[in-house]
Amino acid sequence: MPVEVIMPKVDMDMASGKIMSWHVAVGQPVAKGDPLFDIETDKAAMEVESPADGMLYHPAPEGTEIQIGQPCAWLYAEGEEVGDQPAAFGAAAAEPAPPPEPVAAVEPVRELAFTAEPALEKPRATPRARRLASEAGRDLTSFVGTGPRGRVQADDVLQALAPAPSAGFTAETGPLSITRSKGGEGTPIVLIHGFASDATSWAPLETHLRHRPVIRIDLPSHGKSPKLRIRCFADLVKEVRAAVDDLHLDAAHLVGHSLGGAVALALADTRPRKIASLTLIAPGGLGPEIDGAALTGLCNATRVESLAPWLRRLAADESLITDGYARLAMASRNDPALRHAQAALADVLFPDGTQAFDLRAALDRVDMPTRIIWGKRDAIIPWSHALRAPGKVALHLFDGLGHMPQIEAPDEVGKIIRSLV
Amino acid sequence: MNAQTETNSRELTYSEAIREAMDIALGNDERVILMGEDIGVYGGAFGVTGDLVEKYGTDRVMDTPISELGGAGVAVGAALTGLRPIFEFQFSDFATLGMEQIVNQAAKLRFMLGGAVSVPVVMRFPAGSGTGAAAQHSQSLEAWTAHVPGLKVVQPSTPEDAKGLLLAALEDPDPVMIYEHKLLYKMKGPVPAGHYTTPIGKAAIRREGRDVSIVATAIMVHKALEAAETLAREGIDAEVIDLRTIRPIDRDTVLASVRKTGRLICVYEGVKTLGVGAEVSAMVAESDAFDFLDAPIVRLGGAECPIPYNPQLEKAVVPQVPDILDAARGLTKGRI
Repeated sequence: MPVEVIMPKVDMDMASGKIMSWHVAVGQPVAKGDPLFDIETDKAAMEVESPADGMLYHPAPEGTEIQIGQPCAWLYAEGEEVGDQPAAFGAAAAEPAPPPEPVAAVEPVRELAFTAEPALEKPRATPRARRLASEAGRDLTSFVGTGPRGRVQADDVLQALAPAPSAGFTAETGPLSITRSKGGEGTPIVLIHGFASDATSWAPLETHLRHRPVIRIDLPSHGKSPKLRIRCFADLVKEVRAAVDDLHLDAAHLVGHSLGGAVALALADTRPRKIASLTLIAPGGLGPEIDGAALTGLCNATRVESLAPWLRRLAADESLITDGYARLAMASRNDPALRHAQAALADVLFPDGTQAFDLRAALDRVDMPTRIIWGKRDAIIPWSHALRAPGKVALHLFDGLGHMPQIEAPDEVGKIIRSLV
Repeated sequence: MNAQTETNSRELTYSEAIREAMDIALGNDERVILMGEDIGVYGGAFGVTGDLVEKYGTDRVMDTPISELGGAGVAVGAALTGLRPIFEFQFSDFATLGMEQIVNQAAKLRFMLGGAVSVPVVMRFPAGSGTGAAAQHSQSLEAWTAHVPGLKVVQPSTPEDAKGLLLAALEDPDPVMIYEHKLLYKMKGPVPAGHYTTPIGKAAIRREGRDVSIVATAIMVHKALEAAETLAREGIDAEVIDLRTIRPIDRDTVLASVRKTGRLICVYEGVKTLGVGAEVSAMVAESDAFDFLDAPIVRLGGAECPIPYNPQLEKAVVPQVPDILDAARGLTKGRI
């Protein structure tokens, strides 16, 4: 009897999950516990392990919504006869299907009966969006729908057709910028910087992490990475996940700061077996509050004089932010296109000075050793968000530090990371 | 009709405005007569007729027996002879007994006699819930009569329109049904003095907005306006349309609004299914305004049950301000 692969329930209020991709091709072997497929729910994306050893057959097409607890593929033992799909996707298989006839010749392909919502032939869109798209001579499939169930609405079309003033930058394409240290052994450490920063900001901490290979990622629209049009937090995570997947690492220790912490957490949630440990420094995503004025100030500053006051807000001890530091920071932000791209990103991720994404459920789920490092004088994100972490997460709270412990006290932070990495 | 010349406006209640309209009509036109149960000495179940019997006498302000079928029949017959009767049903619920005269006679005679006659009768229907009068005295059955070609059906929501629509109804050669929400009788508002008419078949935009169109009738207009104030503080700019007439519906005003906002909420007290909102929704869906919709249409109507006596339940079965808020927020925030 083939083993059913079941859509797991990974969220409390999840009714169904969408098959994003299969890690194994049809007819190929997979071992119990190996990653088998990626799913996406309203709230999260994650990897699902194979429930058994076997060959994969009858996988539900990518993009299909499957109800939880319902089959989305079958695993056959080696030598086991593979016949018709034993049951419909998403349908409860009340009776085990009879064993396939041994002389099952090539059966004509039959229509698959989905009880879960079938993939729509036409994109879901409002009449107004359809009219606008048709007037512009554009195909509806070229728009990303932000309405309920991915419905394309008028705003989606208008924004895509005429870039909003805040998004006044030319979107680029291409992979994210990755830089690697020389030397170090064992499982590498992957560093993800925060909003309006870049990979070079890790320099003070890196001197304490030389025992391992260090890989730094520039977030989209940051540092040397291309300026991508990001529509939502999940978009951002998708870009970074693709970059990390391309590294083909067996395992990695993930360290993220602020927005990078949120991205790291989302990554760990979707690639749990790849992430050996997770270090979140003043991470986003654990509560709605954030200093919107500082975000705007950092994005918009065109000279040292306007940038420096906002930089000083990042540290508990303002004297750390010297004029030289501010000049250097401004030099890295001289490109107006970069500032516009970051302003557009802030508008999406932090509308009206609010963190528009919530990763508390992900923090509850992740199972690798995880710790949160935070300064209690953080003026950007309240450190008390750390108190929402479940008991299994270690908290390192520093009385005298602000939003950038890795720069304010690199030796202390380095010591904490080294203790596990 | 001799229009009076005064134009200064005063604060009157809705029921005073109706009484003033009847007073003006009785004074201006000797063909006008009032008929209904207890409208004479008693002044009407809701006191709308008041003391008009003392001014105009029992020949022109007539108490009718407790027979809605009989009373309505006499009113229709009087209209056929050239009079301009205003017939009051004590409660709109009781008009169910007079439906034969309304639906089979008043609405049809012009057509059946090749246009040789018309039936210029005006009928008044105190309607709606909220008075603790339970299942048989609280209904909103306006969609019943609005379903019948040959009738015109209006639902004034303000004292000014209550007077203007009644005077317009008297000038109309065909039967006009006026549904008056009982909770509005005590509502005060500016009412121009003298004779004027409010056009039948013309909606009023009570509040202009660009984010969502709320098409409402009768007392729901006021709930929609209250909701719109709250929504405005949240940055949602609602347009509130008072249909005023539900047969014929002012298609142009509704469609223009939907083309502008792309979102439609219909709010009405009658039972949701097959009610006024169903007609408005279908009208939009069948029109070119469909291409301007940016979200599904939402109908907020009465629950599928008789109006309960329990005051909490009585409130719960008809749309309230929070229901309108939820719908407007859902539509504009992309949740619906």
